[in-house]
Amino acid sequence: MKRKIIRVGSSRGVLIPREVTRAMGWEFGSMTDLTVNEEKNELVIETAETEIPEELDKEQLKQFENLANKHKKVLEGLHD
Amino acid sequence: MTDDQKKELKILCYAHWNICKILDTETGIRDIDVLKDVISMPGGGSLNCLLGEKLTNKKDLYSQLGWFIYYTIEGEPFNSKNKALIVLVLEWVLNHYNLSHDLEDIAEYVDNIDTMRQGNADISNWFSEKVN
Repeated sequence: MKRKIIRVGSSRGVLIPREVTRAMGWEFGSMTDLTVNEEKNELVIETAETEIPEELDKEQLKQFENLANKHKKVLEGLHD
Repeated sequence: MTDDQKKELKILCYAHWNICKILDTETGIRDIDVLKDVISMPGGGSLNCLLGEKLTNKKDLYSQLGWFIYYTIEGEPFNSKNKALIVLVLEWVLNHYNLSHDLEDIAEYVDNIDTMRQGNADISNWFSEKVN
């Protein structure tokens, strides 16, 4: 897929097509990780791994995840 | 914001993000100021029932829940599924306090709250009557 480098303010940017962001599950604000491989002359863009802040209790967060899965139907039925 | 409030805010964001991931809805905070209001109780307190410690009396717990529910519905801090977040948080909190409850009953109540007619005190009272 060829994309032209464009000007974004004083920086350079590449527009990522919607089908790519959709396939990657990226939304506005999603964090990505850029890796440049100079030998191969390539740039890899990956979804950045999210780290859970140290001060949070991982067990508690897991409980939230489990409850959300368990009660999916109830949660789905609520109005926005 | 206090350290506790920052922690509470992060827990809510994580819980909301989980719901969005599972229900495939829009993630993200709609209004950060509203979200700060949701976890800031009157008198400088916070939604500390979320932090894993246990409050010593149910009145304080229901008071916090009433505030949290009212301001989440009224202000809609997240882009989607604010009521689903309320129900998920209630399920976690009530389980944490070993309080028997009917989640479907609670979900129906939350879904029908009218903030023009019901205030946070009314919501707290409902929990005092329905949850043991």
